[in-house]
Amino acid sequence: MKRLESRHWVFIGLFLVVLLSMLLQVDLGVEVSSDTTRLFDYIENLPPGSTIMISFDHEASSLPEIRPLALAVLRHAFARNQRLVGVALLAEGTGIGYRLMEQVGKEYGKVYGEDYVFLGFKPQYIAAMLSMGESIRQTFPEDYLGRSYDSLPMLQGVRNYDQIAGVISIADGSLTTHWIEYAGNQYGVRVSAAVAAAMVTTYDPYLASGQLHAMIGGLRGAAEYEQLIHQGGSGLRGMLAQTTAHMYVILMILIGNVVYFRGRRKRGEG
Amino acid sequence: MDVGTLVAGLLTLAILTFLYRDNPIYKMAESLLIGVAIGYVLVVTWTNSLMALLFTPLFSRGELWLIVPFALGFLMFGRLHRRTAILSRIPIGVLIGSGAGVAIPAMLEARTLRQLSATVGPVFADGTVDISMVVVLLGVLSTLIYFYFSREQVGWWGRTARLGTWFLMIFFGTTFGYTVMSRMSTFIGRMEFLLSDFLRIIS
Amino acid sequence: MRRRIPQLVCGLFGLVTFLCYFSSHPIARKIYLTVTLDYWQIIFAFTLIVGALSFVRVNLRAVERGEDRPYKIVSLIGVVLMPILALIWGIRGGSPFMWVFENIQVPMQATVFSLLAFFVASASYRGFRARSLQAAILLGAALLILISRSSIGDLIWDRIPEAAEWVRSNPAMSARRAILIGIGLGSLTTSVRVLVGIERTWLGGEK
Repeated sequence: MKRLESRHWVFIGLFLVVLLSMLLQVDLGVEVSSDTTRLFDYIENLPPGSTIMISFDHEASSLPEIRPLALAVLRHAFARNQRLVGVALLAEGTGIGYRLMEQVGKEYGKVYGEDYVFLGFKPQYIAAMLSMGESIRQTFPEDYLGRSYDSLPMLQGVRNYDQIAGVISIADGSLTTHWIEYAGNQYGVRVSAAVAAAMVTTYDPYLASGQLHAMIGGLRGAAEYEQLIHQGGSGLRGMLAQTTAHMYVILMILIGNVVYFRGRRKRGEG
Repeated sequence: MDVGTLVAGLLTLAILTFLYRDNPIYKMAESLLIGVAIGYVLVVTWTNSLMALLFTPLFSRGELWLIVPFALGFLMFGRLHRRTAILSRIPIGVLIGSGAGVAIPAMLEARTLRQLSATVGPVFADGTVDISMVVVLLGVLSTLIYFYFSREQVGWWGRTARLGTWFLMIFFGTTFGYTVMSRMSTFIGRMEFLLSDFLRIIS
Repeated sequence: MRRRIPQLVCGLFGLVTFLCYFSSHPIARKIYLTVTLDYWQIIFAFTLIVGALSFVRVNLRAVERGEDRPYKIVSLIGVVLMPILALIWGIRGGSPFMWVFENIQVPMQATVFSLLAFFVASASYRGFRARSLQAAILLGAALLILISRSSIGDLIWDRIPEAAEWVRSNPAMSARRAILIGIGLGSLTTSVRVLVGIERTWLGGEK
């Protein structure tokens, strides 16, 4: 076996920090941010029976981060008796989206076709967003289970975005941008988002300009949402590990800088 | 433990072996992932696009106008051979052209004008200066000046551009913070799977 | 001719979709829908198939040459396996196709992505140095966010989350907004250049 390099020690340290934090199984409470409250209020204040479109715009790679966000939002929407239309604009979101909606639908005793539907996947997301603005039925002639659009009671009277109260894009990349720029801009649908933390700063200008109605991000966002709906999940469970991992990275940055400045002083670079 | 969890757990560990160094176990898992992922996209696209939008309406319902997009799509196969590659320029032309036609109004309105109008707001409110509004205005202007390379960045212009780099650094730092958060969340999610579903150490 | 026809097709489709955007006439909406839904999606689907075929061809050649043979064979098995499973048992929830997706693809893909957590930690140690004023600003912003988005931010000082929120929503957001405006203007001009035929790089190098 080769001798371990410094990066290996950094890896081992991170692994142990996360492992120990998870074994402790402590739920840390979190301070709820205004962003999270905004999305919560939006779903909370919609009249029950409103139709919300949930778009699973993510890949399998980000599922560990996206799943708690999606579950929290779905639980809240179902608890408020909203009707949900699921779509996937990235292929991998298809199976995942259906499973998540089915799981939460069962938890709340919801009936497929009456309380929620999953329309499945359409490639070329911009095309799908634009064409749903004209006709959702023509974009998805059948749902994910192969049933015709017209046979689903919940979709009677749902022609395009005019009958949709809002779109919630669950994304790990830039697809929310397209929702804002094409569906939001051209068809006036209200767009909100639950995104991977790495994308939060990308969407901030849209949030500030009001083009994006509300946004929650990352495991922390999920934890805050879980706290608001009083239902613990992976978000709150993971907050101790998230906190210690952040502290570990901060420690690495500090050690790296100490080493760097000591080396510079030794070399007489000031 | 069901077979699915066992397979998922073992493959998760196989991928994690990369942290030590590149090795045959990791390479094998990675190769399997690439193959399965391509197969998945292929099947889903075939079912949701080609069957639903093309073959079923064309051959079952006789919607003959679909021959045109079918023919355009078929021309893409030209790319498989160097001599016929040129044929694929026509369907690519359709995508690029209509994409540009759709993008012009969206880019102008949603990305440029709406962002500009959100930048220019009332600086004075209730007789006091809105510091945040001033910061945003200053940040947008100085960053735009930094990216304007048609004029030499010297004098007051250069100093403003330098201020723009500070705003950019704040943005990059913030993004780095959120990216760390994101990556840690993903790893925590995988650890949760390993510890609860696979190893059943935690509930 | 080899460039003219594709350019003409490109310009024509661009002009039609651009003009249709501004019209609410049913015919204009129908054209817009047909182009965006049917033409785009069908062509894109064929593009994906071409990509997959190309992948199979490249891997078969590598197998013939004996380059990384076991790995290439495993990749090829994956590509072929999924359509076979879909063909025999379908792709709905509970099918073998979905079993492979949920128990092989999803966990591996998520784990590959989670490896980045380790590389981020390593990069923080090795490359994140306050070498200059700009680097120090970057470092400060990153530390502020890292502290505020963990559970101890408000324990250290209750104004930390508020301060981080302000930094994110104002100075950081303004730089991102400037980048966004720049991208918007760039995309706009590129689109116009494509439509009028000045931008021809999409045609490739050959005449």
